[in-house]
Amino acid sequence: MIARINHVAMLTLIRREMVRSIKIINQVIWPPIITTLLYVFVFGMALGSRIKQVQGVSYSEFLIPGLIMLQVIDSSYGECSSSVFQGRFMNSIQEMLIAPMSAGEIVFGYVLGSLVRALVIANIIMVLGVIFVHTLPRDWVLYFGVMTLVAVLFSALGVIFGLLAEKFDHIAVLTTFAITPLVFVGGVFTSAQLLPPFLRNFELFNPMFYTIDAFRYSYTGQSYLPLWFSLTVIGALAAASLATALRMAAVGYKLRT
Amino acid sequence: MVKRYGDFTAVDDVSLRVEAGDFFGFLGPNGAGKTTTISAIVGLARITSGSIEVFGYDNATQWREARRFIGLAPQEYNFDRYLSIRDVLIYQAGYYGLAPRLVRERADELLEQFGLERHAKLEYTKLSGGMKRRLTLARALVHDPKILILDEPTAGVDVELRLELWALLRRLNAEGMTIFLTTHYLEEAEALCRNIGIIRAGRLVALEPTRDLLARAGRGLQDIFLELTRA
Repeated sequence: MIARINHVAMLTLIRREMVRSIKIINQVIWPPIITTLLYVFVFGMALGSRIKQVQGVSYSEFLIPGLIMLQVIDSSYGECSSSVFQGRFMNSIQEMLIAPMSAGEIVFGYVLGSLVRALVIANIIMVLGVIFVHTLPRDWVLYFGVMTLVAVLFSALGVIFGLLAEKFDHIAVLTTFAITPLVFVGGVFTSAQLLPPFLRNFELFNPMFYTIDAFRYSYTGQSYLPLWFSLTVIGALAAASLATALRMAAVGYKLRT
Repeated sequence: MVKRYGDFTAVDDVSLRVEAGDFFGFLGPNGAGKTTTISAIVGLARITSGSIEVFGYDNATQWREARRFIGLAPQEYNFDRYLSIRDVLIYQAGYYGLAPRLVRERADELLEQFGLERHAKLEYTKLSGGMKRRLTLARALVHDPKILILDEPTAGVDVELRLELWALLRRLNAEGMTIFLTTHYLEEAEALCRNIGIIRAGRLVALEPTRDLLARAGRGLQDIFLELTRA
């Protein structure tokens, strides 16, 4: 009798994603940490010393949650999409496709593996924030809750684009033309209150703005938009993204002929 | 079963039964539909119509049970490049639902059996072609399947390894494992298989015991194969 859910297979895939991250640690773990340190030193400490306060905290303190979100989004999407695409490209994903693993187990394995990786990176940056900026989250439930929702959203997007892509170049399309620009104008470096009115209105159509605004609340206790509204938007986007990834895997899109 | 890709029919109404314990050879020229048939059996291809049963389990509706019985040694090397050779086996067993603590010993046994124990910590890219072929077989066996499906298992290997693999396949079959083999080496099929199916342009053109096929034609398998597949 075979279990209804092959949880061993899912755990195996999560473990495999961890092994992959460690094998390419110079690509997966160190770059976001070094980039974050550079942002903290150059923007937070050097330039930030000229800014008195943003949302009631120092600029460096304001910056840390935005930088954590930046790296959570980047690593969740980037690593999940490249892992899925590489599996397809090398055909190694067939090891799972011929095994008694459901589409859901495969998608959740990738997404949860990506979530663990994002949590590791985020918490290293959080510790750097404690060391260099002396700032800590005030609301840990919100801190982990928003981080989890955002990592799930972008990991599922990673699965979707890992399946859609025909070459590595295609994976970069979303990063280059959507994720990076939207994250940068989405409030990582500046508060929406400081933006000109037309850009402030544009932020309402920028999903990254909701993620950063809600996550910053876990540090500062303040947000530009009502927290419930941002959480609803992030939750709905995560659910839609996950449902799409599950559907694509279930029909065997570019996996089974 | 029928498998179509758009207007192209890759497998056209093929119907065959491989008995438990058989050593079955599935032959045909390039593009005849051998790999598509294998892909359908293991679930990598979805058939257009018909059904496939593996030890009584429908591979579409009872896919978890059906897949548990199958071990696949594909023609191409498709190992996970981030894992060591030992972990390739352990993780593959994991995908079949077997926890690492239960399969470490089995993985080590297989590595020893296939002469790979000295390379257990290496990545597969460091292995020679022959060793990669052995690893393909070891991986197919790690979850203790009841049927082993081999797609050109001896393609590109030297004579010594080919004979070694033949001996291993004979032994596995003698121990009760069902073997479904595709090969372009007709002498291999002649030497190993009890029953043979020949497919041409997606259609089955022969399906009978090897002995009968050879006796009926009174010639070697190569002549029969050429006659059936060129017609």
